[in-house]
Amino acid sequence: MAIVAQTSKFAKFARPVLAWCVGLFFFFPIFWMVLTSFKTDADAVKPAFLLFFTPTLENYLNMTENYDYWRFAQNSAITAISATFFNLIVGIPAAYAMAFNPSKATKDVLMWMLSTKMLPAAAVLYPMIFLAKGLGLYDTHILVITVVSLINLPLAIWMLFTYFKEIPKDIIEAGQMDGVNTWGEIKEILVPLAWGGIVSTALLIFIFCWNEAYWTVRLTTIDAATLSKLIEGNRAPEGLFFGRLSAVSTAAVGPIVVLGWFCQKQLVKGLTFGAVK
Amino acid sequence: MSDRSLPRLLQTPAVLLLLVWMLVPLSMTLYFSFIRYVLNSLRRPEWTKPAISNWRGFGNYEFVLNNKDFLLAIQNSLLIVCSIIILTVVLGVFIAVLINKSFPGQGIVRVLLISPFFVMPAVNAVLWINMILDPVLGLQGLAIEGLNQLIENLQNTPLLGNFFSLWPEFEPISFRATQTSAYAVIMMVTWQWTPFAVLIFMTSLQSEDIQQKEAAILDGAGAWSQFRFLTLPHLGRPIAIVVMIQAIFHLSLYAEIEIVSRGNGNKNLPYLIGEFANNNIGAASATGIIAVILANIVAIFLLRMLGKTLME
Amino acid sequence: MGRIVLDKVTKSFGETQVIPPLNLTIEEGEFAVFVGPSGCGKSTLLRMIAGLEDLTSGELHIDGADMTAVSPSKRGLAMVFQSYALYPHMSVRKNIGFPLRMEGMSKAEIDEKVNAAAKSLNLLNYLERKPAALSGGQRQRVAIGRAIVRNPKAFLFDEPLSNLDAALRVGMRLEISEMHKRMQNTMIYVTHDQVEAMTMADKIVVLQGGCIEQVGSPLELYKTPKNLFVAGFIGSPKMNFSQGEEASRRGAATIGIRPEHIDVLSEAGIWHGTVGVAEHLGSDTFLHVHDTGLADSITIRAPGDVNFKYGDKISLSPREDVIHKFDAQGQRIE
Repeated sequence: MAIVAQTSKFAKFARPVLAWCVGLFFFFPIFWMVLTSFKTDADAVKPAFLLFFTPTLENYLNMTENYDYWRFAQNSAITAISATFFNLIVGIPAAYAMAFNPSKATKDVLMWMLSTKMLPAAAVLYPMIFLAKGLGLYDTHILVITVVSLINLPLAIWMLFTYFKEIPKDIIEAGQMDGVNTWGEIKEILVPLAWGGIVSTALLIFIFCWNEAYWTVRLTTIDAATLSKLIEGNRAPEGLFFGRLSAVSTAAVGPIVVLGWFCQKQLVKGLTFGAVK
Repeated sequence: MSDRSLPRLLQTPAVLLLLVWMLVPLSMTLYFSFIRYVLNSLRRPEWTKPAISNWRGFGNYEFVLNNKDFLLAIQNSLLIVCSIIILTVVLGVFIAVLINKSFPGQGIVRVLLISPFFVMPAVNAVLWINMILDPVLGLQGLAIEGLNQLIENLQNTPLLGNFFSLWPEFEPISFRATQTSAYAVIMMVTWQWTPFAVLIFMTSLQSEDIQQKEAAILDGAGAWSQFRFLTLPHLGRPIAIVVMIQAIFHLSLYAEIEIVSRGNGNKNLPYLIGEFANNNIGAASATGIIAVILANIVAIFLLRMLGKTLME
Repeated sequence: MGRIVLDKVTKSFGETQVIPPLNLTIEEGEFAVFVGPSGCGKSTLLRMIAGLEDLTSGELHIDGADMTAVSPSKRGLAMVFQSYALYPHMSVRKNIGFPLRMEGMSKAEIDEKVNAAAKSLNLLNYLERKPAALSGGQRQRVAIGRAIVRNPKAFLFDEPLSNLDAALRVGMRLEISEMHKRMQNTMIYVTHDQVEAMTMADKIVVLQGGCIEQVGSPLELYKTPKNLFVAGFIGSPKMNFSQGEEASRRGAATIGIRPEHIDVLSEAGIWHGTVGVAEHLGSDTFLHVHDTGLADSITIRAPGDVNFKYGDKISLSPREDVIHKFDAQGQRIE
């Protein structure tokens, strides 16, 4: 991709330098957080810009022993995996219907689904708590999984729809001529050809489900509480617990950031509904 | 085609679920907004249970609209969302153009750049407000202190010292104050979402027509002209998409606001709802309905404007 | 098996009617070619027969049974697509066997039929490959194989050779023709290339704007085109048309004469002109002649060793018995 005779010597030098600065700048807070998680709480607030210190695992040990970390982590995983699974089960048929058999209303339905995400959660918080308590579902996995799924369902359908639409129309028609029924179409043609898209959607939805904090905090107390609750509980330190805070944060965030590294391409494709190539 | 109906039916579960998800809680909120409903009341215990006999009509709405915080919350919501969108788009475009051409380590820089997007919003807020922006113990505080230290040292040098002695001592900014906490929120969310914009724009830039650029160069276009007349229009659609997606996500910003501004008077609409919900469910519901109406107006506006670009 | 009847069939997309009421019968075992310029509706018509497009009105009968509302998979037809539409994730064997699997045949039977089809199409060595590892011509054969195994009532071809390069096209054309002679199935073939139409068809259906201009055998269309459009469409290079004195002298509004029906070797021709560009192909020479008074330019096909050059004067002797006459509405006058 070289447009020759364009770059001045200066630009050739300045560009990578600038780019690296920007990259490091953006990554720095994360780096700092991870670094701090290995410091003792005292070290963490030493006035000096401390890069050299004796690393310690005490924060992590503390966290896993005292804070019941594994329970929260397990709940986060259960919630995210189940919600992702549910979204795929419901979303694939829906996206299939909209991509392969569109009607005049399809476009409107898709737009409406997207608009449900604009609903400020706070507006329906109290009715939800009311319903949850009334149905005896407060602080249960079922409730949390359902809610977290529904929040992300529009996104899942949009992403799947985008990937399905990319399957060339004549392969579908060839299938029709060859005698596939609806189930055959999904199983033999759709899923194998859109497999990459389905995996990407699953990954992204998983990330969003894992990161979900509003409902997971307010609809749970103990049984179904996820890592977001752990963060909430730790969020008002008076400056003395940076080490601990960083450890909890890193543990909650780490795996997801790494996962995100692996699916950047899919992220773009899915989230922009395929409109950006 | 006679067997088109089965496939169409397959979308029913999804549609039904979302419909129920939207309508049931929403209609309850609507109901609550028209009655007196509080969590604790010494004077009027009958108001602690939702009942049609507590009908208040538009009383809750009047209360909310006249509340001094209401206008502030709306203004804040708009300020925060608009600032974030503008900042992320501008930064996103420039950074995308910057790192688009290959250079050693481009892959790593990309990875570093997109990391903030995957951080949990709650962690994001906690990280920034405590560890970075805290005036005393956070990096900001340390930086300012360091700066002051540096200036002090410079003040002691011969000759130059006189120049520097005119400089004031810098005060670290507390980002927990009412006004500044809005800036803190803008900063942290911009940090988190600029990578998203960069990714989108970078991907789009990769489909730029090289031949068009070469023709422009032959016509004598310099770097800036190329940017203005070729690159920017090409990015038109992705920018629209980025704006739309961010509007969707940021209008309901909650975690960051709550963590940063707890109790200091800075609030946006969702936070205001939360505040009311501490006791006055009726008022909270009314505010909620207002927020929904506003969100829908924005949604219709945006989707009409940008939806066409998406659906072609 | 394989008699297809279209009865007063129409097609509209929204408000626009693209095919006004149309009647057509394709007999058992016929090789029928739908030909016409882009947008004439030939592909749409084919897809309507296949069931991939609905009929807006009218009826479709296959072997006497009303198939108007029946889904594509149940019509007993097979289609070969322009882009081949092979399943990219399946091997050649699985691609060809797919329709049989959908029918529920046993594995042994499927293998037998797939092998037979692959043998007849020279694909035995490629059975385990995926489409991406095949050349264009091979992919074309797999698409045909997939159609053959079903033993359909009729084969539908939608511009199957358009994506092949010129040399391959000629070869595949012969193969398809041979296939037809061997198998005797009904075949409906859509193309915009009139050479394919002329060389392969038993019956050509010329379409324009959704309407059938003429139906007939290749030679019929060549010798007695019913109107100006068909006359100009069939035959390459195009027929020469002239309005004016020569036309009115013969009692027509327009006359037409094919390039191969004008002799240039005699000095005593009735028309005269100046040679413009002369295209020498070795086997033939195409002369573009101006200033004849008939039209801006007359194209003539002359023997290959003729050596007229740019600017030469030339004398033209048309064969009177094959001058076509058309009236003011463009219809043929006998």
